[in-house]
Amino acid sequence: MSTATKKPQTPWRVSTPASAKKKKPAKAPDGAVVKSLNGNWGYLFTAPFIVMFLVFGLAPVVYSVYIAFFQWDPLDMTHNYVGIANFQRVVADDQFWLAVRNTFSIWALSTFPQMLMAIGLANVLRNPKLKFKTFWRTMLLVPNITSVLAVAIVFGQLFSRDFGLVNLAREWLGMPDHINFVSETIPGHIAIATMITWRWLGYNALIFLAAMLAVPNELYEAAAIDGASSWRQFTNVTLPGIRNTITFVLVVGTIGGLQVFAEPLTLAGGESGGDSRQFSTLTLFLFEQAHMGNWGYAATIGIMITFIVLIISGINFFFTRRIANGENVQ
Amino acid sequence: MKKLIARVAATAVALALPLSMVAPAHASATPVTISVWTYGNVIEPQALIDYKKIHPEITIQLKKSGLDAHHQSLITSFLANKTPDIAAVEVSYSGYFRSYPQYFTDLRQAPYNSGSIQSNYLPWRWAQGVGYEGTVFGIPTDVGGMEVAYRTDLFKAHGLPTDRTKVAKLWPTWDAFFNTGKLYQSHLSKAEKTSCTKLKVCYGFIDNAGTVYNAVLNQGTQKYYQNDGTKDGKLIYSTNPQVKKAFQTTANALASGVGTNINSFTNDWNVGMNKGIFATILAPAWMMDYIKQQAPKTKGKWDIAALPGGGGNLGGSQLTIPKAAAHKSQAWDFIKWYLSPAEQLAIFKKYGLFPSTSVLYNNPALKNYKDPFFNNAPVGAIYGASVQTLHPIYEGKKERAIDNIIGQALSRVGLKKQSAAAAWTQAMNEIKNAVG
Repeated sequence: MSTATKKPQTPWRVSTPASAKKKKPAKAPDGAVVKSLNGNWGYLFTAPFIVMFLVFGLAPVVYSVYIAFFQWDPLDMTHNYVGIANFQRVVADDQFWLAVRNTFSIWALSTFPQMLMAIGLANVLRNPKLKFKTFWRTMLLVPNITSVLAVAIVFGQLFSRDFGLVNLAREWLGMPDHINFVSETIPGHIAIATMITWRWLGYNALIFLAAMLAVPNELYEAAAIDGASSWRQFTNVTLPGIRNTITFVLVVGTIGGLQVFAEPLTLAGGESGGDSRQFSTLTLFLFEQAHMGNWGYAATIGIMITFIVLIISGINFFFTRRIANGENVQ
Repeated sequence: MKKLIARVAATAVALALPLSMVAPAHASATPVTISVWTYGNVIEPQALIDYKKIHPEITIQLKKSGLDAHHQSLITSFLANKTPDIAAVEVSYSGYFRSYPQYFTDLRQAPYNSGSIQSNYLPWRWAQGVGYEGTVFGIPTDVGGMEVAYRTDLFKAHGLPTDRTKVAKLWPTWDAFFNTGKLYQSHLSKAEKTSCTKLKVCYGFIDNAGTVYNAVLNQGTQKYYQNDGTKDGKLIYSTNPQVKKAFQTTANALASGVGTNINSFTNDWNVGMNKGIFATILAPAWMMDYIKQQAPKTKGKWDIAALPGGGGNLGGSQLTIPKAAAHKSQAWDFIKWYLSPAEQLAIFKKYGLFPSTSVLYNNPALKNYKDPFFNNAPVGAIYGASVQTLHPIYEGKKERAIDNIIGQALSRVGLKKQSAAAAWTQAMNEIKNAVG
């Protein structure tokens, strides 16, 4: 009986798809269109990016890897294949390693003090009692929207040897020895780091501020009830709350720091980076070689920069994971 | 009816078009924009205003960049086959481009026929625009020349004569020039001496003794390359005695302490020029305008005397028409006009750029020209006499890079970071790595 009742049901059930097919047209169009969008039309919509990326992103990268195996003067009609000679040369090139050292020196001098200052500045701006909040936050971004070259020129004047404001200020403070920022290595690096810090401090402070504002207010209230001083609140509530942001700023700062270009170029007044190449950073060295007509070698340097960025990113990734895991445990 | 009107209108247009095209063609009034890429002041603003009066239909679009940036973007434009109609090429890069004449219009050919105007120009300046296989790729603009600009008031205060012929007699040679510098330094006032020990702002005879290098080098007949008829020339930087001599002379000058070690075109230099920190500058003709702009209050205090060791030169350009230029004939018209003796004379009077059109050198308008800013020195006669004593020098392919490396080495000597011998060795190694 049950089977008998089920049996007639089966044909009916079988017929359901048929009726559903008839019914579907009422409902199907939406689903059908969405499906075909996901399948094929999606590529069309992403095409502008894909094409741009292929033409201006991937193709130059592939091409520069190609020319790294050549002795390649841009205007010559023929180019000599030299195998891995450019790579052998770059590894043994003192000027390359000097550029690596300079880059990291400037990076360290500009990143770490800047991070401390940006966090401090953000903490000041976080203060709910602060007046003209929007004004201060806007002002922080002004250095960032100023042209890099204009900044470099103005700072170049501030740091000039005989009549620069920095040296005049030192004189006034009782230090009459004029520092020749353009010819001395570490003072020059500090001058460049100052330009970078001035430019990016406000931007990073705003990112830290955003992270701090996301820290729940209850935590501060609870801490205050427990009698925590504002310094304790800062170290025990604010800092743990913005840990991920600190990593983010560090990663972005590192990528930018490895590409520092305009500031050392202007301070040194040339692509070779000063009389002892003391401001020759990696990107500056790449430009110098390219402009001397050594495109193959310049491309090789570019590939080396990529490797360095990959290594640094790997280290960053390692630390980020540890910090993130630590937070989960908490 | 409508069709008829349309047909009549079409016929009218068809008839009018050729007419309208023929009529202005005689006045060549088709508006054309020619693009010109330069650096610095190769093409002076007054010239554009004047040219607009003669050729109202031509609009000149001027793009100015820094010296190195300009030449680099020119190379890129050659590769992209999208070039300006006119491009300036500076002397320090002419050696590079002479290896690649295929990217330029050969101006010897008709309809340019540069041979017909060649005799107007200084032969050695003309040669800087000739490709390795004889094509003419550029016409010379101004010639730098080089003399000594000195401050008469400071010379007087430091026990030196002020009259320009007497001053020139002080330094027939470079050694005599530096001895004069030492004499000047020995007369520094107490205030000037304390400034150096206490304030670390040191007064000196010459702005930067490092500038001597180029002056001495250009007084020879060869620089870093020898013309052996090949595309790139033969490198002789390590064996040419003139290079070593120029380096050694400059290193000695730097060691003698007669310079202030202030680099040209820096903020300190501009301030120092106004404050009288230094008394002499090795000045190409185009530098006179720079001094006028930067230190207008020193008017009348300057004078010009002959360069030790004979003539000198720094800078100068050629105007070229790249092969891929879109408006070659208009470009040539402008070049021929701008670099004609008459226009070059006008530019000299207004801006002090010294013409390389040597037919002018005996022209009274140039020969008798006196500049009140420089104590009425007959700058036309002084620079004219000096540039004619120079020999044609073969400018090599990577001269700019070699110049930079040697400049850095001399900087290190001047800042006492290195001995002259060590700096020379390092420079030779760096050049070997950079250019072979």
